[in-house]
Amino acid sequence: MGPVTAADIALDIRDLRKAFGGVRAVDGCTLAFPRGKISGLIGPNGSGKTTTFNLLTGVAMPDSGQIFYKGEDLAGMKPYQVFRRGITRTFQVTRVFREMTVLENMLCVTALNVSERVARARAYELIDFVSLTRLRGEYAGRLSYGQQKLLEFARALMTDPEVILLDEPAAGVNRTLLQDLLAHIHGLQERGKTIVIVEHDMNVIMNHCARIFVMDYGVKIAEGPPAEIQKDERVIEAYFGRRRG
Amino acid sequence: MATHEHVRNVLLLAALAVVLAVLPPALSVYLKSFVMFTMMYVVLALSWNIISGFTGYTSFGHVAFYGIGAYTCAVLVADHGWHWISTLVVAAALAVVVAVAIGYPVLRLKGPYFAIAMLGTAEGTRVVVTVWDSLTHGGLGISFPSVENSLETYYAMLVVMLMTILVAYIVGHSRFGIRLNAIREDEGAAEVLGINATAYKLAAFALSAMFPAVAGGIQAYKVLYIDPPSVFFVQITIAMALMSMLGGKGTVIGPVVGAVLLYSAQELTWVNFPTAHLIAYGLFIIVIARFMPRGLIGFAIDRGWVRKGMVH
Repeated sequence: MGPVTAADIALDIRDLRKAFGGVRAVDGCTLAFPRGKISGLIGPNGSGKTTTFNLLTGVAMPDSGQIFYKGEDLAGMKPYQVFRRGITRTFQVTRVFREMTVLENMLCVTALNVSERVARARAYELIDFVSLTRLRGEYAGRLSYGQQKLLEFARALMTDPEVILLDEPAAGVNRTLLQDLLAHIHGLQERGKTIVIVEHDMNVIMNHCARIFVMDYGVKIAEGPPAEIQKDERVIEAYFGRRRG
Repeated sequence: MATHEHVRNVLLLAALAVVLAVLPPALSVYLKSFVMFTMMYVVLALSWNIISGFTGYTSFGHVAFYGIGAYTCAVLVADHGWHWISTLVVAAALAVVVAVAIGYPVLRLKGPYFAIAMLGTAEGTRVVVTVWDSLTHGGLGISFPSVENSLETYYAMLVVMLMTILVAYIVGHSRFGIRLNAIREDEGAAEVLGINATAYKLAAFALSAMFPAVAGGIQAYKVLYIDPPSVFFVQITIAMALMSMLGGKGTVIGPVVGAVLLYSAQELTWVNFPTAHLIAYGLFIIVIARFMPRGLIGFAIDRGWVRKGMVH
């Protein structure tokens, strides 16, 4: 029998480790992201958040540890294998396909066994969803940064994934656009999706996440609902440093 | 792209096929051979474009597949008495096998490293063919039994060109093609979005190797004598790249336009100025890189004359 996967845990990460040379970016991190909720992953710069995302999505190979998803260990899988199991992500700095149109950016994500007609219908629907309808035939590289963020977000939803990892969705996005994006994220959560957000904007994290995980030096130092995290001594210390006596 | 546009494009291709099919009786021997070689360069440029334009892996060694095709045809016809047409199937199959075997390790390299590795592959193949005396007659080359073949090679090249255009068109207007584009734009992001880049690159590479091998076979039979320097000539690779770039790599029509223009220009100049086309090649590279980095088609797209993207 495989590991126990509680029904309310979507991604169960155990003792994950990854070192780059002498830098232990993720150093025995254990996290359990709740199913169907919006979770926040925060921590000071260099605390290992993005590396954790990279390990979760196969972009980097973990040195050790497990990532259980639906009873299966994802550690060491290739990115496309992780994706096909229903886990998708966006990037800290957008990585849209610049010399391809908005529509092409969307279409390349669909599985080839999905008919062209269905794929296009889905792409049109999502492009409308993020209000890029007018720019459907434009090269992605010509979109504003905020629009690229929206495109990347929509693109990640093409295959109706179960788990969506968002790496700094608010960075570089204007306030109006951000409210739209957050509304979309809540819409997904209401449809039962699991969402994990890495973000430096504390308003986003505190107001929109059900549960917050705090990392520092590659390990989890705290976890809990926003109200608790705001008061947590270890979190304050990680962000602002220890008071010296 | 709407269905009626596909129908229109297929009809245009059919019209081109009919024109080229009825043309030969009206052509002199020289012109017949000129049209045949133009068609050959269309095949080469379009094939190169599949791996280097669509997928973004610039190959500086594509002549390897052309040479392999030429030698397959020559060895089987001259030494084993095969009918030349049947050797073309073997040439295509062999090119695919070699492309997969070489591509598996080499397609892990990116950018200039891939380009150099392919240059090495082509040179390495030339050396192997040169020293493998017992099979290839080494540096002596291979002569075919002399026959009048200008008409049959013309039609063979026409068929291969039409097949290449059709395949490039299908790839260019499919989600398979868009996925190749995604690998070109950002391979890491493509993989995160579910694209098995290794498999796609290998498929693109095999496809881009197949038609040059067939073209090489036809060309060998046409000229009736080959040796390693002539069929593993680095300038053939440069021509493929340059024609694609001039027309607009990463598009379907670009390499066709580039091949016709550049080969015609070369043919017009070389009679009077034997080395002028080499100077012209150099000038073309500079002018394209400076003023039209995305080729004539890209230039037209930027001005709104042609629609963006491949699947609209």
